[in-house]
Amino acid sequence: MSIELRLSRASRIYRPSEPLEGKIIVKSPSSISHYGIRLTLNGSVNLQVRGGSAGVIESFYGVLKPIPILKKSIEVRPSGKIGPGTAEIPFSMILRQPGEDNLERFYETFHGANISIQYLVSVDIMRGYLHKTISTTVEFIVESDAADLFERPVSPEMVIFYITQDTQRHPLLAELKSGGFRVTGKMSTQFSLSDPITGELTVEASALPICSIDIHLLRVESVLLGEKIVTETSLIQTTQIADGDVCHNLTLPIYVILPRLLTCPTILPGPFSIEFKACIVISFQSELSKLHSKSDPTSPRLWRWKLCHLNWFGQDRLIRTETTVTKMKMCI
Amino acid sequence: MEFKPRNYNAQKEAHALPLVRTDSHPLSAPPSHHRQVDVVDHEHNDFFDPLRGLADNATNCREDVQELESTSSEASSQLPTREWMSFKRFLMQKFPVSKMVSISSMSNVIMKGVKVAEKSLTSTHLEELEDPEKCAEDGVKVVTRQEYISRLHELKDEINRAWRANDRVTSLKLAIKVARLLMDTSVLHFYPTLFVLSMDIMDMLGDMVWERIKWKAEFAEDGTRLFSLPENFQASDICSDAKETCNNWFCKIGSICELLPRIYLELALLPCWRFLVDQPEDNLQRLVMMMRGLSDPLASAYCRLYMAHCAQKLPRSDTGYLVQCVNDINIQLMRIMSAKEMTRRNSTDNKRLLFTLMEPTIEYIMKIIFKDASKSQVSNVLVELGSRRNQVELFGSLQCISMVLHHLLKELPAEVVTSNAMEILHIIECSNDYSSDQCLNYRLLGLRLSERRSQMDIIHDVVDKVIQVLSQNSSLDEYLKVVDAYVDIVLQNQMDNHLNTILGGILNRACNKAVAEDELASLQTILMKLLNHFKGLEDVFALNHFLEILDIMHGSSRSFVNMHILNLATRNSSISDPTTIQLLFEISQALHDDLDFVNAKDDDNQPARLISRFVHMVDYGSELERHLTFLVECRGAFGNLNELKETLVHSSNCLAIKALKDAKKHLSFIKSCIAFGEVTLPSISAQIKQLNLYLETAEVALVCGLVSHSDGLIDSAISCLLSLDFVDGSRTSTDIEGILSAIRKLFCLLIMVPGNPEQGVTYFANNILALVNSSSWMTPAMRTRIFYTTLTLTATLSQNKLPYHAVHGQIFGNDLLFFGDSSYLHELVSLSEFVLQNLVDSIQKEPSPAARGCIALEACNCIASSFVVSPEISQICSELIETAKSCLSASDKYLQSTIKFLDKNLRAPVVAVSSISV
Repeated sequence: MSIELRLSRASRIYRPSEPLEGKIIVKSPSSISHYGIRLTLNGSVNLQVRGGSAGVIESFYGVLKPIPILKKSIEVRPSGKIGPGTAEIPFSMILRQPGEDNLERFYETFHGANISIQYLVSVDIMRGYLHKTISTTVEFIVESDAADLFERPVSPEMVIFYITQDTQRHPLLAELKSGGFRVTGKMSTQFSLSDPITGELTVEASALPICSIDIHLLRVESVLLGEKIVTETSLIQTTQIADGDVCHNLTLPIYVILPRLLTCPTILPGPFSIEFKACIVISFQSELSKLHSKSDPTSPRLWRWKLCHLNWFGQDRLIRTETTVTKMKMCI
Repeated sequence: MEFKPRNYNAQKEAHALPLVRTDSHPLSAPPSHHRQVDVVDHEHNDFFDPLRGLADNATNCREDVQELESTSSEASSQLPTREWMSFKRFLMQKFPVSKMVSISSMSNVIMKGVKVAEKSLTSTHLEELEDPEKCAEDGVKVVTRQEYISRLHELKDEINRAWRANDRVTSLKLAIKVARLLMDTSVLHFYPTLFVLSMDIMDMLGDMVWERIKWKAEFAEDGTRLFSLPENFQASDICSDAKETCNNWFCKIGSICELLPRIYLELALLPCWRFLVDQPEDNLQRLVMMMRGLSDPLASAYCRLYMAHCAQKLPRSDTGYLVQCVNDINIQLMRIMSAKEMTRRNSTDNKRLLFTLMEPTIEYIMKIIFKDASKSQVSNVLVELGSRRNQVELFGSLQCISMVLHHLLKELPAEVVTSNAMEILHIIECSNDYSSDQCLNYRLLGLRLSERRSQMDIIHDVVDKVIQVLSQNSSLDEYLKVVDAYVDIVLQNQMDNHLNTILGGILNRACNKAVAEDELASLQTILMKLLNHFKGLEDVFALNHFLEILDIMHGSSRSFVNMHILNLATRNSSISDPTTIQLLFEISQALHDDLDFVNAKDDDNQPARLISRFVHMVDYGSELERHLTFLVECRGAFGNLNELKETLVHSSNCLAIKALKDAKKHLSFIKSCIAFGEVTLPSISAQIKQLNLYLETAEVALVCGLVSHSDGLIDSAISCLLSLDFVDGSRTSTDIEGILSAIRKLFCLLIMVPGNPEQGVTYFANNILALVNSSSWMTPAMRTRIFYTTLTLTATLSQNKLPYHAVHGQIFGNDLLFFGDSSYLHELVSLSEFVLQNLVDSIQKEPSPAARGCIALEACNCIASSFVVSPEISQICSELIETAKSCLSASDKYLQSTIKFLDKNLRAPVVAVSSISV
């Protein structure tokens, strides 16, 4: 006896205003009598605080209470019997009734380190006290409606940056400090998730030959824990834009496609917040770097970086995962 | 036995064919309508005209090719593919790789194979960032080239296997690893090969992704075909599912952290942009910009090359992005060149190597830029390249890298080159760096200019300028390379003063040094151009310095030029100018001295043939003695040439005949001619040729009245025959035929030769017969033929009036000398009897029945026409007929006509013989 939930879309992506459709497939050698087949939708934000940035007491608490977004349940079939063989039971369920008062805003599906926003659909075949209830659960993915977005209109924003030996707060190599360097450029900070981060960068001068220039994409998750805000920053993608000592005064493009499964629209402070940052890491070739092994923490850091906050807004944005909650893949 | 008397004149009249006048010459061109009919016929009948046949085939082939191209669905992409294939082959061959390739740990995919659990890209990269030199520290590992290549092939197979197993993520990961190999440019010479092999893999992946997404667009999930995409589909034709998948691919690739593999994979998938957007070309611009981030010149140049290749798969592609590429390359190269030589990697040698490795990429990109470029496009390209030049001046550096300029110049349309020649010249002048030789650019300009006619004043200016620049260059090699390109222009425009300067320049630079091999090659082409330009050799010889330059040459180039000169000289009917003859003689001598006699003994010895031909062509007109002296000189100078000796004998014989026709007073001259022949002849090593020449000279001597010379020469010919000795197997049928015909010719000659009473009139014939019996190599058939020819000779000599005489008035034939002499007749008869006895025996020895029958009939005919009928003769004849009958079929025509002939002559005796035999 097996039960399977098959959603109407292979991608499992639905908007809040759309009905979730699919089939319940029951395979059984003998007929089953039941007290009803129920379909349940469940959406919630799960927060957790892991060691490191949180204090000892906070880490003791571990998982915080999840924030519910959606909870709905309908009976697809009243009590009855399912014949032997394969039975297909179609269903359709509206996620959000227009005008209906929701528990929370429909956040887009997101799986981060401390924060995960997840939507599940499950089916239960209740068979009384003597038999175990048969059930299965599938995750589906919610993407934002275009109309449901933020109040502010989205306009592309660019930030102009320049990086020199004087803009850096951490210690620099003496030869770099005295010789100096200057890297300028601009980068978009607000855009749709389906678009790449764009911008340009020019190495105007450098006393030392450059080894590599990379764009690091960072995820900043903050959780309100009592009076404190616990923030964790994690690196989600590195993109190299210059390999080796590039020509000076040539404009290099910044073009970073966002990793689809690791990003979501910026969520501004509330009980939790999700933000993203990009940093430009310029590493220089130096005789010194050859002398120190990687494991030596006291050696001077040879790379210099600058952070700038990035916001992006999920317009026509697709977020997708597969059934398993822990691992997500894209179909290529 | 009695010889049959014959009246040759009467017979000649009786057998002569009646002559009829004709209106048209049989060999004259037929009227035009005939020809048309012919052409029509040729296409249908079985007559095979080899030349026409080839042409027909060629057109067929062309049609085939066209058919192929038109039927194939991707006709447009086929040609570039073929071009790309040949380019790839060229790349692999151009840079031969040493057996070992040292690789850095970056290429651990090669060393360790595929690791099952791969560290995440991010973390590996972070480690590298922490310590960028780690790779270098890990030490250089060395693998053999073959291992490297086979590992790449394995990777390709693995990618394929994973793809077939629907494990596309693994395929992609492996492909990324392959692309990552290209980051390591320390392999230098191996890099082009590595590039080609990796590109195969990239292309394969690109095709697979293309097919997959296309399939998704065309088929429903259950495999039913929804519709078929047209060749020129729009992004809107693609269903969202396929678009999703395509987009996911680009996202996957976008997450590769290293720049180079990311660019390579996007290039491999470039055509897939068509599924998403209608203007996939826009991405090229971005990719060009992204490539600026690759600081390694070699890696970035090859990356650009791959882009040029991939962009051709897009339906429309503007070449603007390539122009941008070239500009970027230009800047990059300038930076390299201006860099100080600090490290070993920056040393000039290393840079030069780098430039040679990069050159093919620039060449290919330029080719693509100017392929099918219209005029306006060309000028656009030039403007865009030019705008960059201004910026370069801003940097205070060089104007255009000469290697880039070189390939630009190579691909520019000819009309642009000719109309902008002075500007180009100026750029060349400014771009003097070591990426490629400046002189090569001067040379290329010359070559491009000579492609088509251009305005005189421009040409004059350019040549003036180039010659002026050249005059400051003291290197012979460079001078020659440039001059070589301009010689054609100078010649066509009759710039004689420049020609003088050029030749003088060459001589100045060459006179005090040994001319090197490639300089010789340039010199050779220059001289060849001169030779081909002028109509007469005299004009070339008259050029200032031409002969001096010829003198400084040596080796095979010199021989080549000399041969060409001789070839030109012998193209006309005769050579009579004494100075020309003298020069040609010296040239021949030089050629002869350079000949390699050890290796060139064979018959197709071109120089020997040319020298002989030259000697043959020489004509001093009425100065016969001068000519003979010349021949003597030739014999002295070219002692090694067999072929020439034959020519010499022929020529001296000709001279003798010429003198004879002239007047009598030349008797001593004729004698010296014959003597010259007599002296030259023994050194000819080809025996059959020698034999024929003896006979020829003997005839000439006889005609000139020198009987004793002629006798001596015939003696020599016979002893030459005697010394003929064939090693088994070396005797060919043509040789046999040749000897036989030489002997027959000798017999013909003997008819004219006055018999010597002291030696006996049959002295020569006896000698030959002795030879026939003693020579082991003679076949029975040949023996038989010589025997019955001897019979014919004796029969002819017995006549009261010989069929022909020597022309010379003072020589009398045997018919006059021995008229009515019974001992003379007796001698002839006894010889005939002796021959007849041997004849029948030798026929029976012939092993092949067909040949035996044939020679029996030949002999029979001969006997019947030579002798008066007698029982003895009849018996021999019927015996021969019986032999023939036993060997040949009764219906054989020769047999029948011979029997008929015999019946007419010997009817009664044949009956008698047959009754006896009963």
